[in-house]
Amino acid sequence: MPELKLFHGTRIVATPAALDTAVWPQDALALRLAPDEVFVTPAITADIVDDQHAIVAPDAGFAGAWIVPDEALEFLQRSCEWELPLERPAFAQGAVAGLPVKLWLEDDRVLFLVPAPYATDLEERMA
Amino acid sequence: MNEFIERNVRLSWHAAKRSYEVVIVGGGGHGLATAYYLATRHGITDVAVLERKYIGAGNTGRNTTVIRANYGIPEAVRFYQRSLDLYASLEEETGRGITHRQKGLLWLAHSETGIRAERARAELNTAFGAGTEYVGPDEIKKICPQLDMAGGGVWPILGASYHPGGATARHDRVVWTYAEGAMQRGVHIHQRTAVTGLIMDGDRVTGVETAAGPISAGAVVSAVGGHVTALASMAGLRLPIRTHPLQAFVTNRYGLGFDPIVSSSNLLFYASQTAKGEMLLGAEIDRQPSYSYRSGHHFLQSCGHRAMTLLPFLRNLRVLRQWTGVCDMSPDYSPVMGKTGVGGFYITTGWGTWGFKAIPVGGEQMAELIATGETPDLIAPFSLDRFARDRTMADRGSAGTH
Amino acid sequence: MTNDKSLRLIVDGSLVEFFAGDNALVALLRAGLHPSQGGCLCLAGDCPHCLATVDGVSYVRTCQVAARPGMVIKRHPSDAPPPLPVGDCPGTDIIARHIYCDVVVIGMGESGRAAAAEAQRDGKDVITLDAAAGQEVIGIYPGPLVVARTRDGMADVHPHGEIVVATGAAEIHPVAPGNHLAGIVTARAATRLAVAGIDLGRVVAIGTPPEGIAVEQAAGELVRFDGVDRVEAVVMRNENGSERKIECDTVSIGLGLCPRDALLRMGNGLAVRAVGAAARTSDIPACPRAGTVCHCAGVTVDDLESVRARGFHELELVKRATLAGTGTCQGSVCLPYIRSFLADRGESLQPPFTARPVTRQLTVGEAAASSYHQATPRTALDGEHRRLGAQMERAGGWWRPWSYGDTVGEYWAVRKGVSIGDVSTLGKMLVSGPGALELLERLYPTKVATLKPGRSRYVLLLNERGYVLDDGLICRDDKTRFTLTFTSGGSSFAELWVRDWAESWRLDVRLLNQTMSLGAINVTGPLAHELLARAGVGDPPQYLHHRTATVTGILCRVFRLSFTGEVSYELHHSVADSVTLWRRLLRLGADLGIKPHGVEALLMLRLEKGHIVVGQDTDFDSTPRRINHEWAVKLDKPDFVGRQAILRTDKVPLDRQLAGLEMEGPAPAEGALIWKGSDYVGFVTSSVFSPVLGKAVMLGWLKLLEGELPAELTIVGRPARRVPTPFYDSEGSRARA
Ligand SMILES: Cc1cc2nc3c(=O)[nH]c(=O)nc-3n(C[C@H](O)[C@H](O)[C@H](O)COP(=O)(O)OP(=O)(O)OC[C@H]3O[C@@H](n4cnc5c(N)ncnc54)[C@H](O)[C@@H]3O)c2cc1C
Ligand code: FES
Repeated sequence: MPELKLFHGTRIVATPAALDTAVWPQDALALRLAPDEVFVTPAITADIVDDQHAIVAPDAGFAGAWIVPDEALEFLQRSCEWELPLERPAFAQGAVAGLPVKLWLEDDRVLFLVPAPYATDLEERMA
Repeated sequence: MNEFIERNVRLSWHAAKRSYEVVIVGGGGHGLATAYYLATRHGITDVAVLERKYIGAGNTGRNTTVIRANYGIPEAVRFYQRSLDLYASLEEETGRGITHRQKGLLWLAHSETGIRAERARAELNTAFGAGTEYVGPDEIKKICPQLDMAGGGVWPILGASYHPGGATARHDRVVWTYAEGAMQRGVHIHQRTAVTGLIMDGDRVTGVETAAGPISAGAVVSAVGGHVTALASMAGLRLPIRTHPLQAFVTNRYGLGFDPIVSSSNLLFYASQTAKGEMLLGAEIDRQPSYSYRSGHHFLQSCGHRAMTLLPFLRNLRVLRQWTGVCDMSPDYSPVMGKTGVGGFYITTGWGTWGFKAIPVGGEQMAELIATGETPDLIAPFSLDRFARDRTMADRGSAGTH
Repeated sequence: MTNDKSLRLIVDGSLVEFFAGDNALVALLRAGLHPSQGGCLCLAGDCPHCLATVDGVSYVRTCQVAARPGMVIKRHPSDAPPPLPVGDCPGTDIIARHIYCDVVVIGMGESGRAAAAEAQRDGKDVITLDAAAGQEVIGIYPGPLVVARTRDGMADVHPHGEIVVATGAAEIHPVAPGNHLAGIVTARAATRLAVAGIDLGRVVAIGTPPEGIAVEQAAGELVRFDGVDRVEAVVMRNENGSERKIECDTVSIGLGLCPRDALLRMGNGLAVRAVGAAARTSDIPACPRAGTVCHCAGVTVDDLESVRARGFHELELVKRATLAGTGTCQGSVCLPYIRSFLADRGESLQPPFTARPVTRQLTVGEAAASSYHQATPRTALDGEHRRLGAQMERAGGWWRPWSYGDTVGEYWAVRKGVSIGDVSTLGKMLVSGPGALELLERLYPTKVATLKPGRSRYVLLLNERGYVLDDGLICRDDKTRFTLTFTSGGSSFAELWVRDWAESWRLDVRLLNQTMSLGAINVTGPLAHELLARAGVGDPPQYLHHRTATVTGILCRVFRLSFTGEVSYELHHSVADSVTLWRRLLRLGADLGIKPHGVEALLMLRLEKGHIVVGQDTDFDSTPRRINHEWAVKLDKPDFVGRQAILRTDKVPLDRQLAGLEMEGPAPAEGALIWKGSDYVGFVTSSVFSPVLGKAVMLGWLKLLEGELPAELTIVGRPARRVPTPFYDSEGSRARA
């Protein structure tokens, strides 16, 4: 398993409607952590969402790594107690190996993200 | 062949009367002990205990039977120490075996703050009569050689408080001993008799409704464990009680060899070996309030995992059975007992995860209250009106488990 | 079947040969050995009679495990449970796999195969579990979740649709004197053993005979089995009452069937359905007259009679009074007989007792498969602390540096020079939006509206009962935006608390928890200004102000406050920059004698200032009044969480209060009892020997005596005094300097 690295990006909390209609840059990955919260990586500028009260904060609070699907699924089968989405790409989050993990599942790779304070634990548990 | 068969207790059942001096709702340990002490200490025998299932069907018959007195406030220490003493003499008093075993209780510390907490526990309890000493790793290893002092590399064992008075007893035998003792003196116990309502005369409770008809009573005592909120609301009382599931499991039987009761506040489990030889494991309450009796798989996994971390010999033991009970938790982790402000209606509840050990003293004190009309000193701090009077009894010594 | 000499296992220390395809029980029987318990064998995983210790695991049904070369079998002692293992039991880590499907079928007999085929025809994704294939279901749980022990670990199967229990039926065992002898088998077992090539000798059949073997049929009612260890004869009674003894080597038992419906009963209320024999009603055997009913617990018919005659009539009470039904087989063997016995004694036929997990045996290690300990988060500076040789402790739910080895030196660095501390563990939350002010105004007992942008204020967080949940700061960023901080230990709860209230009041706010995204370093000590100036902040914020600044080139929010009693700046920054910032500060302060301080020193420093630590100095029923923090509560505000409760409790006299205490000499341990004469009045919650004051200072609970807090006290046998806090720099001039 590769070493987890901090993912630099932007955390945005805004009205669900503002997030629904926001257009993220082509090369960015936007993970909808909650109806009113998104994590976009790499970082973006503040004026993308249409909500004057939005919180737009630079964020490096997640550590993560891209994993090949076979390895990822093998690990998830024994460490994840909830059902993964079948479609790709897909975002999913919940307890994995007892840690608050966010997953971005693509056809040929899976991104594991965890709050940086748990990075060492996730590395150990994936090893 | 089987030394655990109950060979002495004789239960004698009676037809129900329409009226009793005292009706006790709930045939768990507290209800039955109250009846027993009413009869033996106060000669009050015109008493009925109404149980919706069979005696001991509730939490008393599901609990992990840790008996200890080392609590977190002097009022509680005195109270539970009285219970410890009553338990220790119950076999002699009744001539019945309750499989009472004094085992000693180790409460492990795994961090600087844990060490401080265990030292404090020892200090307070020793001062108020529930002998507890702080012990270091060498003594811990002597008391319980099976412990992995490295804590599986997760929670190393740095120290512990040791309460030599810690004991266990067979829950069902406690139930039957009190039931028999009460019955012998004329108390009626009616099984399969659920109380469906309280009969009020003005603001006084004067009886109970059951499927078999009303029963009138001079005094009604609610001893229904986790179901107290429903019953009390019939008397117009709102109790600050929340009900949470609590689970446990046992392994198959093995030769005796694990002497003490071991508890860890960080790994949140406790373990003992029953007289039959099963390893008995318990943990903390489920966070989510619920009345569900269904056993969870996550509990078995997680409790087993945590216990194995400190007691690696458990790994290859085979699990026999898991089960669930429900605990009525008060906001300050102390029991709620005594008068209610509603005439003729008494309660004993808020027994949380720790009410088995309190059965003798709870019964004794409730009986005295009902017989004399005066709240005994030992339970005065635990009255329901303490919440309104801002006299709560926060007890860290009972928060958590057993 | 071939006899391959390499196929050997070890039974009680002796080598035993077996045939390919044998299960461990057949291997024993082939060698003329018998499991030490004796008793009727079923070869179907129902009874407890073939239990043995296999490869170090006791209570293994030998009929359910394939014989393997080198397998070590120890028979259980016949008169006692197997010994408790001693020492460590190293074991490989067992894995639990999660499997999702539409339908689970348990049991692959005829009805199970049919149910699976039907579901598949309907296009369902079906998982089948069968004990014969090494998949033993141990329980059905809410979810629904079917948990099975398999040859390569645990399987947690989550069906979206139904669970089909097709576990068939168990054969009823005989109850009569001598039923503990070897050589008694169920009819199905007899057939299986014969097929396996085991010589059964002369076979007598009681009831339904076994298929495919020549037997002598025994007519009449079973009276007893004769023999010493092995059955030598069976005695039957004819209709006319005469007894007949039939010599034999093996007795085959065909007394009827009892559904294996424990899983069905366990799944009651879930989408669980039984098919085939598992769905049938139980045959109720004739009421037993004598002999062992429950083999697991050693309960005879006489024992049942004895407790019943003494008033134990309910099935549950009979079970509890005798332990019949509580053994390894969970009543599979004895339950039909107990029910039949009680029905015969005039009780109605009572339903079987509650089925609880586990229905098949698994070890604690297997139960714990794929479990993880609760992880303790680490700050971005974790590696720095460890490199500096810190003693790391879990405190407030995080790994934190307790001490870098010289707690008193760390303390003096703060009091006299400059020091840095890692406070990244503090809870941090951003609140923004038109409803932000209202949210905080209703949540906190302080007046939030009067807080100006750029200012911070110490706050308590209360619950509805008016008890202190947490403390921290409210920092106003602008009109509609705030930063909240919480304690390290309280932050995860506090975050949920704030969210819950925002939701239930339906306020238009945005909430972002930044606890794990932001690091925080506290720069504190009289030389903190100097260090900040060197770090590029020449005009740091005033006391209880905050602003953004670049510190050693790193963008920070700088909060001026003080927990230590000295000038303090909390630098909040991205966790990506923590290490750089930490190292640069240490380098810049090297000639100022800078030292990092750990939690232990911090606890000393704050105690000298009389600052409480929620959870240590508070209890779960601490009102602001009890902890002497009424100044933090503005009752003239219209409403806030806890206000009603406080108005109520304010009317009753106070009973106890947290107070400052001091005494000469070394500090007593936390938890030390406080006495007034011979009366117990409370205990010490925090204590330290104050290096700067030269005496012990403490916080502790005191009971009011006749409405007064006692002043002259005894702690650990020494005189102590109640004194006002702070103990140190009571005007607070140092922090404001
Ligand atoms: C898993 C578990 C482990 C525990 N471990 C310990 C421990 O180690 N040490 C310890 O001291 N305590 C322990 N406890 C707590 C202890 O079991 C309880 O506090 C104690 O049994 C309470 O006794 P009780 O008589 O008040 O309640 P119960 O035993 O629950 O009795 C109440 C009775 O009331 C009946 N009832 C309910 N409603 C009605 C109605 N309307 N009409 C008639 N009858 C009714 C119920 O059927 C029940 O029999 C544990 C609890 C659980 C669940
Ligand atoms: S025979 Fe196994 S529990 Fe009775």
